Amino acid sequence: MIYFNLLIQFFHIGLFSFGGGYATLPFLYHIAENQKWYTIKQLTDMIAISSITPGPVGVNVATFAGFTTAGILGALIATTSVILPSYVLVIIISKFLEQFETNKNVKAAIYALKPAGCGLLAAVAVDMFMNNANLFGMILLVILFFISVKQKHDPLYYLSISAIIGLLAGFFKLTT
Amino acid sequence: MDKSFYTIFKTFLKVGTMLLGGGYVILPLLQSELVDKKGWIDSDGLCEYYALGQSVPGIIAANMSIFVGYKLRGQIGALAAVLGIVTPAFLAIILVAAMLEEIVHLNFIQNIFWGVGIGVILLVFLATKEMWNKSIVDKFTCIIFFSAFILSACFKVSPALIIILSIAAGIIYRKQIPEKNSIIKGCSE
Repeated sequence: MIYFNLLIQFFHIGLFSFGGGYATLPFLYHIAENQKWYTIKQLTDMIAISSITPGPVGVNVATFAGFTTAGILGALIATTSVILPSYVLVIIISKFLEQFETNKNVKAAIYALKPAGCGLLAAVAVDMFMNNANLFGMILLVILFFISVKQKHDPLYYLSISAIIGLLAGFFKLTT
Repeated sequence: MDKSFYTIFKTFLKVGTMLLGGGYVILPLLQSELVDKKGWIDSDGLCEYYALGQSVPGIIAANMSIFVGYKLRGQIGALAAVLGIVTPAFLAIILVAAMLEEIVHLNFIQNIFWGVGIGVILLVFLATKEMWNKSIVDKFTCIIFFSAFILSACFKVSPALIIILSIAAGIIYRKQIPEKNSIIKGCSE
């Protein structure tokens, strides 16, 4: 039964997430809160690892969530189901490319979809900040933020710095 | 020009392996592999698929691969391309996830992940900022942003429902106030 539920949940992520990269996160966050297949903490770890392993982040994090929920078969089902809507839609759209590109309703939908997807991700960011960071974490976040404002870096750069600081902070019992 | 299942698969497998850290590095990678080396499509075609990849739900890299694969060899090409782009991600995660289960209980690993958790919050904030720059262009999109944010953060409404509502709002709004210029853009963004 868990496999069927995985299929339904990840198919619906593939069908409704727009904007690539982190666009699937609000959906995975919602699953963590409702299905309890994994915790928010686990999801955060998955995002970190997905950001530094080969492949599109969206595929990585879906595979990871599927694996955490139901092992290798779970990973296979999650990955396939999250791609399936793309596969079907892209092939249909490829056959009617011109109509799709000039359709007024498609443009109107995309025009409104993008800010909605952005709002969903902002809600995840705020929720993570409120629930996951203690005082020392907040200070670390502010420092990282100022580094990012000064100059843009790779995800790997921020994650390496925060990993080292986490390791050091552990010695001084600052992580709880 | 060789457009066999295996060649298409191999090309996208290479792209999938080199794709690190997500974001928009997909574009230069596809430019180098598909346009410069293989000559399967030209730069304009790639830009068109980039724009299209973002107008279809799902993961942009996968969408683009399926578009290009389908153009090259129909359904067989699409299947080869999507398998190629997904396989490295799948294998890498299975490997890391299995190893992680062995070590995650260790104290210092917990501390590392505590720090990394803070880094992830920053990454999500930065991704939000980037999406904001691309999507909030006027009063209407600003209203949609805050409506989606409040529905999700305060009322825990399902993301899928919020997306459906925003599509409806966009179509109704455009019926009242038609747009001036096209929104589906290519690489100019």
